[in-house]
Parts: sequence; C-alpha cells; structure tokens
Amino acid sequence: MSGEPRDRYAVVIVGGGIVGLFTAYHLARAGTGPIAVFERGFLSSGASGRNGGGVRQQWETGATVALAREAVAAWRRFPGEFGFNPYFRQGGYLFLAESAAELAQLDRVAATVRAAGLPLERLDPRAVARRAPGIRTDRIQGASYLGSDGTLYPFPAIWGAYEAARRLGVDVFLRSEVTAIDSEGGRVLGVRVGGRRVAADRVVNAAGGWSGELSRRAGLSVPNVASRHEILATEPMKRFLDPMLIRLSDGLYVSQTMRGELVGGLSVPHPPGVVPGPPSSIAFLRRMSASLVDLFPNLSGLNVLRAWAGYYDDTPDGMPVIGEDPRLRGFFHANGFGGHGFMLSPATSLRVARSVLGERTDLDPARFGPARFLSPGRAMHAEHLQPG
Amino acid sequence: MARPSARTFRFRRRNLPCEAEQTLAATLSAQGVRILGRSIRYHRPRAPFCGVGYCTQCLVRVNGVPNIRSCTYVPAPGDAVGTENGWPSVDRDLLGALDWLFPHGIDTLRGFRRPAAFRGLYHRVIRSLAGYGRPPTPPARPEPRAGERIDTELLVVGAGPAGRAAAARLASAGHQVLLVDRGPLLAPPPQARARAGTTVTFLPAPDPGRSPRFVATGLGADGTPVLLRAQTVCVAAGAYDGGLLVPGVDRPGVLTASGALSLAGPQGEPPFPQAIVFGGGARAGELLDRFGTHVAAAVSPGAFAPEVAARAAELEIPLYPRSLLVEIRGRRGVAAVRIQGRGGGPEQLLPVDAVLLAHCRFPNGQLFFQAGAQMDWRGSLGAYTPVLGPGFETSVPGLFAVGEAAGFEPGSPAEASGIAAAEQLLEGTTPSVLPARAEPGRPSEMAGYYTELLRRRAGRGKWILCACEDVLLQELEEASRAGYRGLEEIKRYTGVGTGLCQGRFCLPAAILLLSDLEHRPPSEVGYIRQRPPVVPTPLGTWARMPEETG
Ligand SMILES: Cc1cc2nc3c(=O)[nH]c(=O)nc-3n(C[C@H](O)[C@H](O)[C@H](O)COP(=O)(O)OP(=O)(O)OC[C@H]3O[C@@H](n4cnc5c(N)ncnc54)[C@H](O)[C@@H]3O)c2cc1C
Ligand code: FES
Repeated sequence: MSGEPRDRYAVVIVGGGIVGLFTAYHLARAGTGPIAVFERGFLSSGASGRNGGGVRQQWETGATVALAREAVAAWRRFPGEFGFNPYFRQGGYLFLAESAAELAQLDRVAATVRAAGLPLERLDPRAVARRAPGIRTDRIQGASYLGSDGTLYPFPAIWGAYEAARRLGVDVFLRSEVTAIDSEGGRVLGVRVGGRRVAADRVVNAAGGWSGELSRRAGLSVPNVASRHEILATEPMKRFLDPMLIRLSDGLYVSQTMRGELVGGLSVPHPPGVVPGPPSSIAFLRRMSASLVDLFPNLSGLNVLRAWAGYYDDTPDGMPVIGEDPRLRGFFHANGFGGHGFMLSPATSLRVARSVLGERTDLDPARFGPARFLSPGRAMHAEHLQPG
Repeated sequence: MARPSARTFRFRRRNLPCEAEQTLAATLSAQGVRILGRSIRYHRPRAPFCGVGYCTQCLVRVNGVPNIRSCTYVPAPGDAVGTENGWPSVDRDLLGALDWLFPHGIDTLRGFRRPAAFRGLYHRVIRSLAGYGRPPTPPARPEPRAGERIDTELLVVGAGPAGRAAAARLASAGHQVLLVDRGPLLAPPPQARARAGTTVTFLPAPDPGRSPRFVATGLGADGTPVLLRAQTVCVAAGAYDGGLLVPGVDRPGVLTASGALSLAGPQGEPPFPQAIVFGGGARAGELLDRFGTHVAAAVSPGAFAPEVAARAAELEIPLYPRSLLVEIRGRRGVAAVRIQGRGGGPEQLLPVDAVLLAHCRFPNGQLFFQAGAQMDWRGSLGAYTPVLGPGFETSVPGLFAVGEAAGFEPGSPAEASGIAAAEQLLEGTTPSVLPARAEPGRPSEMAGYYTELLRRRAGRGKWILCACEDVLLQELEEASRAGYRGLEEIKRYTGVGTGLCQGRFCLPAAILLLSDLEHRPPSEVGYIRQRPPVVPTPLGTWARMPEETG
C-alpha cells in the first residue's frame, strides 16, 4: 500500500508478519473501524518469510494441542477462504528418540495428545524406516508419529492473508517502521511512523523477534528475547520423504517440500539479541549437514543450495504472550511465538483480535497472559517440546 | 567409437571414452548427445548452457548421485551416468505435453484450490511431478578424504589475470600467499602457494576480535572440504556471461560464450555448424576469433566495438548492429532466429543451429555480499559491486576487490588492478594510474533494449524468464500488477531467482523489467544477493568441514 496513513486509526498493528496480518483480517471482519498495519521491511521480511513451514499438534501441554488442532483445521480451509494455496500437506510429524530421557518426553507428549483424542502412534525403529526410507535406525529407540501433522509453504499464506485484509479495507504500510509508542497516564495514544504521529487507542505488538524492543520503546520491560536460528534448503529431488522429522537429541528438523527440496534446521547457540552481520554460519552448515548425513548416509552427495536465518521471539516458558498489558491500557501483545508462531497463527491471531475487541478468550491468563511474568517466583507452565 | 584401449564410462547403454580433462558435457556433445534433461515444470528439453557449473540445464546423475553438472564434471573410468526427469526418456518425454497443455503456464500460487475434496489428490500429483533427480542411492565408494585446513597470511580468490598479478606481487615481496581457483590453474606465480579446483563457497563477515580475521570455506576436488583462514582476502573471482530474455532462450543450442567455449572439442571444433553471436564487445570478438567461419552473423543490441567490426570484416561475417533478437525458433534445438533493427527496422529470419550469448558479463559478487561489504549499483554493468577505497579496499577491513569481480570493465587492464591492490597492501600507497571501473551512472544498454523488446511482444511461445524454475515473464508482470514491489517480494511471489543458479541468469533481467514496471531506477528495485553457498555444495562436504578454531 502506498499513500499516507490517516491521522487516526481504531487499531494500529505493528508488524506485518503472519500474526499481524491475520489479526488485521479478523479485526476487519468484526468491523472495528479503520485498521493500519505497519511493517518495517518488505512483506514477509520477518520470521514469517524464513521458517520451515512445519505444522504440528504434538505438544506437552494440552492448551497448545487445542490451539494447534484448531489451526490445522484452519490451514485445511485456507485455500478456499483466502484464494491462495499454501500446499498444506498432512504428511505427519515423526519425533525420533535416541535415549531413555527422550523416550520419557515422548511418553508425556503421547499422553497429552491422546487425551485430546488425536490418534498419535508410537513407532519402533522398523516402522520409522518405513516412513523415512533410507534412515539409519541403529540409534533410534522409539518415535512418535501423528499423521495429521504436516507442512506448508509459508508465502502463499502471507499473500492470502495480506490480500484478504486489504480487501476488507485494512491499510497495510510496507517499509514503514514504528519508531515510538506514545502513551500518557498508562494509556496508549498512538504510534510514530516516519516522524509522524498516528493516533490509536489500541496498538498491537506483533513485531516478532523485535517485539521486546518495541515493548521497551513503549516503556515496558518484558522478558522476550530474539534468538537467531538458521535453516537451509537442498537441491530438489523426487519425492521420498513424507513426514517432517525431528531429532530430539540435537533439535534437527527436516522435511521434503512440495518442490522436492529438503528444508530444515537445527539450533546452534548464538548470542541472544538481534545482531548485525551474516545471517548464516559455518558452524550451522557443518552441524546441520553432519546430523542429516548421520541419519541418511545416502544424502552425502546431495547439494546444499542455500542457507539463511531468521529470529525466534523466545519467552522464558516457551509459551506465547497474548493479551493486553496490565501496565499500559490499549497495548496488546501478540508475540513470544518462538519457533512455532506460523503454524499456530490462525488460532492465536483470532484470540488476539478478540482481546483487542475487549471480548473474553478461552486462553488461560496464567499460561498466555503478559501478567504471568510480572510476579517473580510464580510457577510457570512451560512447554518443553521446542524443536521443530 | 572408443579406442580399444580407452578407459570408458557408461552413459545410458553406451560406453564412452574418458578423455583427459574433457568434461562430461563436452564428451557427450562430441558424441552427438544433445538433450540431457527436462525442465522442472514444463519438461522442456534441456542441454548445456553456461559451461561454468552455474545453470540447471546440464544436470545428470552420476553413480547414483543426482544433479551433477556435466559441464564441470570430468568422468572417471567406470562411472555410470544417467539422465533425469524425463519419462520414459529425456529424448521422448511424455510429460513434455505439459508444455503445450499449459501455454500460459500453471498458476501454482492460486491454483489447485477447489474443490477441496480433490485437493489432496492434486497435491499428490504435483508432488510426484516436482523435484528433479531421483534421491541419491547409498554411496558405493568410500567417502572422500577428510577435510583440510589451510592457514595463510593472504588469500587470493580467483587466478585470472587480476588475481595472479596480485598474488605474484605479494608473494615476491615475501608474503605468504595462497591463490585458489575453481578451475585449473595455469602458470601459478612462482612464490605463491596455489590450489586449483577449489571454489570458495562461503566468506562470512570477519570477526574483528579474532586472528586471523577471515575464515572461509572451500569446496575442493571430489567434494573435499577445505577451511581457509587468512588475515587478508583479495577477491578476484571474475565475472560470468549472463543470460537473455527472449522466447526460446532455453532451447538446446543456446549457449553463453563460456558455454560455447566449454563445449569446443580438443582441437577447438565448435559444437555447432553455424551460430549467431549476440553481443558487440570484447567477448563477442573472442567468439569470432575462436569460431571464425562457423559464425553466420553477429547481432548486437548496440554498436559493435571497432576491433570486433574489423575482425568480422576480415572473416566476412555480416553484422547487425542495434538490433533486437526477437525470437529463437526451433523445436528440439535452434533452427532460426528472428531479428529486427532497433526502433522498428526491417525484420529478418536467419537460419542457424546455435545462439551464442556474449552481450553482458556480471561480476561474481557473492563473496562481497556474504562478507557484509557495502555494495553499490553499477548501471553500465547492470550489477552491484563493492564500494572501493582508493587502494581497492572494500568497506570490510582486510577485504580487497580486484579485476572483473570488482566491476572493472572487461578488457581493461585487469592486471593493473591486481598490482595496484597489492601495492596498497604492501606500501599503503595509492597507485597514481588506476584502471577504469564501469560507470555507476550510465544505464545498462539492456535496459532500453528490454523496454523496446517487450513493447514489440513479437515472439510466439513462452517467455521463460527463469529457466531453472520455468517462471514466465507474464508471472512477473502479474505479480507487479497485483501490487507486489521490489525484487524481494517479487522473487518470493513468483519464484524467479529461486532456482539452482540462485538467480544468476534471470535476476539481472528481472531487475530491469521491474524497474520499468515500477517506474523507478534499477538500484531501487533491489539486490541480487545470493545466499551462501556460492555454488551448491554437498551435505557430505559440509559435514566434514574442519572446525574454525584450533
Ligand atoms: C529458521 C526458522 C524456522 C522456523 N520454523 C517454523 C516452523 O516450522 N513452524 C512454525 O510454525 N514456525 C516456525 N518458525 C517461527 C515462525 O516463523 C514465527 O513464529 C512466526 O513467523 C512469527 O510471526 P510474526 O508475525 O509474529 O513475526 P514476523 O513474521 O517476524 O513478523 C514481525 C514483523 O514485524 C516487523 N517489525 C518489527 N519491528 C517493527 C517496527 N518497530 N515497526 C514496524 N514493523 C516492525 C518485522 O519487520 C517483521 O516483519 C521458524 C522461525 C525461524 C526463524
Ligand atoms: S534462471 Fe536460475 S534461478 Fe532463475
């Protein structure tokens, strides 16, 4: 969208990633008055345009399983509703355990997921080899598999959400950074963009890896930290691997996309925070490749085509932050999505929109609310199944 | 026929000779094998194009490993070589029907949405068609040797005239120099260490607190991983011959200048009876010299350089200055080209078997981007090159740029820039006479050319903009019309530039087209910023890469 923003909007959303765009779409459908989305870079320049496209319902906490289930149903409906096809393909997620501790973690996951009524399967190494041809199974002790998990191609989802929001009258401003949040007496007044004031009673922080920085610009201290995560794609091959594979021992995740390339990553420790400089590292390329070749010795000659990186927005308990900040009326959080914000976005953004509209949501504030970090020493309900 | 004593490799059902230094592509071309594969979406015939291992057009399967570039692979005795992505064969591929079933392309972004009940089926069909080679089979041979780590004071990347000159000057002054090159190394400077057949694949920004400052990765012969550590790096990685947007450009028989040179036989026999050369500068002149009477005509988007015109007159080759290449015709190869004078001149049909593209060269700038050097747009080259100080230093301390990679005009005294950079490094003095860099302000000749060509819209058939991914010109135009702006968004929306060449052959044209569509200068449309690695590099090579420290 080109042109100048209005002087006042009913809601301003900071961040044009998938969360900001879906939130704008839901708000516009509810008819709240004029809505603006400000995105600092180009469309899809944040984590939403850099992720692995994994969509899973296997989690340790039931609250997340419920959101993920709803999201899976929404992704299935997406092409009909939004006019773009993200090729959501339900090839399953396969978690590989190589130690007793990892098996125990999969037991906890299995209990939660089955309690929600989903047909999770536990696989022995032979069954793993059937689902992942060519895999080396000598170290695999067990696995968990859910066939309705899957993968998608993020870009069509972004274009679809963007165009749908705009059709409903949302103003999306690209290459427009929000540099400050104006507030007075504990109430939000608006934002500053390009030296201009844009008034709004309600501002949504959907700034992804930069959400901590944005909250601080609003004078709020939050525990969100940006962490750099790297990812790579190989050259495309004919289809051989249906499920997304997760190796619990080192956090490797890899799937074969609709285009035939393998896309995946693994966590290499980087200093926290947004850093200038090269997004990729030799250490990542080495470790990721070593883990992949260790699992699939036949892939040794397959070429890495490109590597890139993006930022997770991490919270101490691995759970997102959704809802109004009790310290600043009108300032809403829609962040802290770690490595899983894309898959959950259809479900989370609906709740963000509801809370902006002042409606009650079904989210437990003790798990999702921003206030949970404000009383130190409170027990946290952490989500430990982070990889992939 | 293979000599009785010849060592041979197997190609489909034939035994073919392994000739020393002869690449697979050259060997197959000499044996009359034309089509090596089929394109990824529409199954159009594919045959060697770039000759330097960048494009997607000559991929074959060797010993169970897919996607081997036949233009840079030298077959070993006993190799088993096969083709991919054609059913039942790449010569007679039934899936080639997709090309005429979808004359206006397949809309994969919005396509296959309804009815929802069939979507799963669509996705299964698409998925079984997607991809290129079949997955690799388990390695029959033992893994190549372990990685090597090489420390040097100065690393010179690229052993062309500029890199060799810099390395020679630095080494003769007593410095420890390592000169590496992707290809064979002819006449390495005496005091410098040299390493041939090694591509520098990744040069992350240096860590200022670390010594040595730079740690780079290399891909050596047979996939050997090489870790290179240096205090100072001088990049002289040269340039490559670019592609062209014209209907039929992806036909077998259309070659870049380097592609044509790489397919020439051991005695210089050209891989075609009659070709046209497209381009009017020094590179076109080289082709006239090399292929002489096999050149039926030379066509240039602008004027011909005087030396080229003189050479053509000697060889009695007709010249068509200021002309558009409107269409390349043929079915399984090139049969004719249609050309027309710029500004609406007369049209002609020239029957030829090959088209040799020599109209532009683009600097190999990936290492500068990776290292975080400040870059600027050089209009006359149609590319980004590093911002350079008077002594050829980039904005990254310890990183120097010389030769064509730095944006020096081809044909300008490249050695001079290499020597000058070396002098700067040694003495801290700026040479008084500098070779000329391409002008930043002057727009690329091809900018106006494409504007005119597109206004004409004369060619029949698909305008393949991105041959790696089979992206059509019209997809770019539709994306632009839908409001997407700038290369980053358009690239993700259309897939242009996301193929195996990482945009080397399509993004330069895409930038000029977008500049036209968006009514703003090319420099504002965006970067061609290839992500690491510089060339596709096997997982096994990365897996065995030595540690950076220790
Ligand atoms: C390598 C990698 C792999 C991943 N894999 C998966 C996966 O498989 N599945 C999954 O579900 N998730 C995955 N994720 C996580 C997922 O991508 C994110 O959680 C999700 O995209 C977050 O969406 P968002 O809209 O909140 O943030 P973003 O997409 O990051 O959007 C935030 C936007 O805000 C903009 N912004 C920031 N500050 C300002 C400002 N001051 N003014 C204006 N604009 C601003 C940014 O430019 C950015 O575009 C992965 C992430 C990475 C990095
Ligand atoms: S031509 Fe290779 S990526 Fe477009």
